[in-house]
Amino acid sequence: MSTATRIGSLVGRFTLRMVTLLLAASVVAFVLVSLSPIDPVQQYVLSSGGGASQEQRDALAEYWGLSEPPVQQYLHWLGAVLQGNLGDSMLYRQPVATIIAERFLNTLALMAASWLLAGLIGYGLGCLMGIRRDRPVDRVLKRVCLVLASVPTYWLGIVFLLVFAVQLAWFPVGFSSPIGMADHDVSLWQRLHHLVLPALTLSFISFANVALHTRQKMVDVLESDFVLFARARGDGTGTILRRHGLRNTLLPAVTLQFASFGELFGGSILAESVFSYPGLGAAVSAAGLNSDVPLLLGITLFSTLFVFTGNQTANLVYTIVDPRIRQEALHG
Amino acid sequence: MPDPTGHVTIRTTTTEGENMFTSTFGNRLRTIGAALVAATVLTACGGGATQADRSPNDGARNDVVVAIATEPEGGFDPTVGWGHGTTPLIQSTLVEYTQDMRIVNDLATDQRISDDGLTWRFTLRDDASFTDGKPVTAHDVEFTFTTAKAKASSLDLTFMTGCKATSDREVEFTLAKPNSSFLNTIATIGIVPKHAYGKDYANNPIGSGPWKFVQWKKGEQVTLAANDSYYGTKPSLDKVTLVFMDEDAAFAAAKARQVDVALTSATQATQDITGMRLEVVSTLDNRGLTLPVSPSQGKLSKSGEPVGNDVTSNLAIRQALAFAVNRDQIAKDAVNGFAAPAFSENDGMPWNNPEVKITEDVAHATSVLTADGWKDTDGDGILDKNGVKAEFTLLYSSGDSVRQAIAMAVAQQVKSLGIRINVEGAGWDQIVKRMFVDAVLMGWGSTNPYTSYLLFHSSNALKDDFYNPQGFSNPVVDQHLETALHATSPEEANVAWRLAQWDDTTGTSMRAEIPWVWLVNLQHLYYVADGLDIGQQQLHGHGASWTLLQNLRDWSWR
Repeated sequence: MSTATRIGSLVGRFTLRMVTLLLAASVVAFVLVSLSPIDPVQQYVLSSGGGASQEQRDALAEYWGLSEPPVQQYLHWLGAVLQGNLGDSMLYRQPVATIIAERFLNTLALMAASWLLAGLIGYGLGCLMGIRRDRPVDRVLKRVCLVLASVPTYWLGIVFLLVFAVQLAWFPVGFSSPIGMADHDVSLWQRLHHLVLPALTLSFISFANVALHTRQKMVDVLESDFVLFARARGDGTGTILRRHGLRNTLLPAVTLQFASFGELFGGSILAESVFSYPGLGAAVSAAGLNSDVPLLLGITLFSTLFVFTGNQTANLVYTIVDPRIRQEALHG
Repeated sequence: MPDPTGHVTIRTTTTEGENMFTSTFGNRLRTIGAALVAATVLTACGGGATQADRSPNDGARNDVVVAIATEPEGGFDPTVGWGHGTTPLIQSTLVEYTQDMRIVNDLATDQRISDDGLTWRFTLRDDASFTDGKPVTAHDVEFTFTTAKAKASSLDLTFMTGCKATSDREVEFTLAKPNSSFLNTIATIGIVPKHAYGKDYANNPIGSGPWKFVQWKKGEQVTLAANDSYYGTKPSLDKVTLVFMDEDAAFAAAKARQVDVALTSATQATQDITGMRLEVVSTLDNRGLTLPVSPSQGKLSKSGEPVGNDVTSNLAIRQALAFAVNRDQIAKDAVNGFAAPAFSENDGMPWNNPEVKITEDVAHATSVLTADGWKDTDGDGILDKNGVKAEFTLLYSSGDSVRQAIAMAVAQQVKSLGIRINVEGAGWDQIVKRMFVDAVLMGWGSTNPYTSYLLFHSSNALKDDFYNPQGFSNPVVDQHLETALHATSPEEANVAWRLAQWDDTTGTSMRAEIPWVWLVNLQHLYYVADGLDIGQQQLHGHGASWTLLQNLRDWSWR
């Protein structure tokens, strides 16, 4: 088979996997939200007034298409999605796509910043620990990593908030821009300033993981026969790291980084709540707690796609970093 | 008979109202959060914030930042519920509430109700204009109400059959049935401009109220500016920013002095913040016990759940509970004293009967029980009568630590009487099925008298809407409630609302039938910057966020 056919079948498999995954995720999310004890009409009526008549409730259910049986509702929704329409949020009374677009920019900035931070800090510390194996630096950093890996995000967030925002007043206590300032007056610097604490909080949940894995890999590499051979040949530590260490240790780090998209999404919900940061996290919890089915399904689809892309990117990056996998992918 | 819930809108909310499910999750986070904050604050207390963003004493400030908890996700469109239950701020209303909860003209200069109570005519003032300069006319009123009726939202106008502008200054409403609380409904629906109402109105509203909309950053903050062209008393502040944060975040922001007002909770409010004071606002945000009033006889609720309880259906038991509980003690035990004794669903409102108040009397409670034949025959510390033990289950919504604490305190207090209450936490999905057989720790808090109708009229009994799970029904009370609802003046209505509570022989209150043992009205708590005057607050309904802002135009820096 030619390479072109190979690549064609790769793309085909990729698409098939993505479509089935999205379908499965939407079905599971829909079943879960259908089983939820929260009646969206009751919730909506109670949260905004509490005195609607049965006629009014029926009208609401009709308006939201809740009077149909669940399977019908799902099929309707699916049909609309296939035509590119994610539907309207019950809670926000706006198209779901608009809400996701509005919120995702904030969440993306947060996740991108913390993802980069986590990757750089994690990989750097991991290498350092591996090289300085069993020395004091390694032992201290290892403990720090283990502690951080077991600390809940929101707790860390609250500590950061109290120390850096309340006590030291270096950073604002929350939000994505200064209080009371018109949007067009907000500078990039101010936006970044507001991003620091939430991004730092979020990055702390995954960097320990990357650091510990990188450390282990580094230790393995440094103990391997080819490194022993290199040393015997007279190569210095720097050369060894450049030639053997980086490439070999990058693999687990990259895998973890891209696979952490899911955790990032989960963590961002908590970080956003601690720092009153207006992202998708706040929208998804509001959707869940109010049984806002279209919004919940919309965000589910979107985040599934996001995480899936992350994992597939990891696969792709492998083939670039590691020639062995490239061979397998193309000929295997 | 048509469903009575179809005849009105409630100004303000129910307890179960404000995001009942959010509260479960939110409270849990909040409880953990509060503990952590308490722990960490100990270390953080040392220096105090150095960079005070908002110093209150410079005299030059004319803006305020308020941290509240609930964002109006649906936006600022009164036709789908914005301002409903409080005040729309940006828009103005035909009539408005005064600080002591009377209703006076706002946009309207005159109102006439026909003798049959079915036609309401309002004359509009001629000096009101929207912030885009166009005048407010009767056509805008017609547009607002017909749009509100047509849109499916929580705003219920099913009882209103028509709204028509008869000239530029005159508007006429027609009702299917007389409804005295229609005025309360009108007082909370802001008038929107017919000429500037479009798809994006909720995100970018124009109104004729004291405040002008400036900016809404979703999930984050709303900025309002004083409306210079407002026809009424202009606000003293120039600019108000409302930021949406939960209580822990608001507490941190207050400590960092980045906000001037922060909504807080009874657990946090015991801590001092330098430069701020604690404002305690009285409410009718009440908590009490719903007690099923019929014995278990195989009856079913409207949705088919079992109904009735052999212990709580005994009037002597209900009387003993009502008279034995120490309401001040409950307030101390459960909410650090931030609550006042409650005696009805509407303490302090013009339609409340002051005679509903009872005095705690444990001896009376005991003698009522003895006279009714309750005795501890087997020496287990629990009274019994005809083989039935004075024991029942009290449900509270799990995750709500305040309700839990109140429930535990009540159970503890009545133990010495020989009544055993088994306190049990449950989700709302469980409570909605079990509330017809078990006692529930519930509460309401509405500034619309129609709530009393929903709570006590027999036609609304045993539904899943939480109003009357007790199955309370009394023909005399029904009569009073109907008289009140069909009255053509507020004064006439108020007399009848009061009689429904106690008419010297029967009623809904703890002097008579006791479907509810009312316990406490929770107070709303806010940290307010020194020097900021938040005016004379109305009695708050259930929600603590927007009710605070009802008198925003009276706020000022001293």
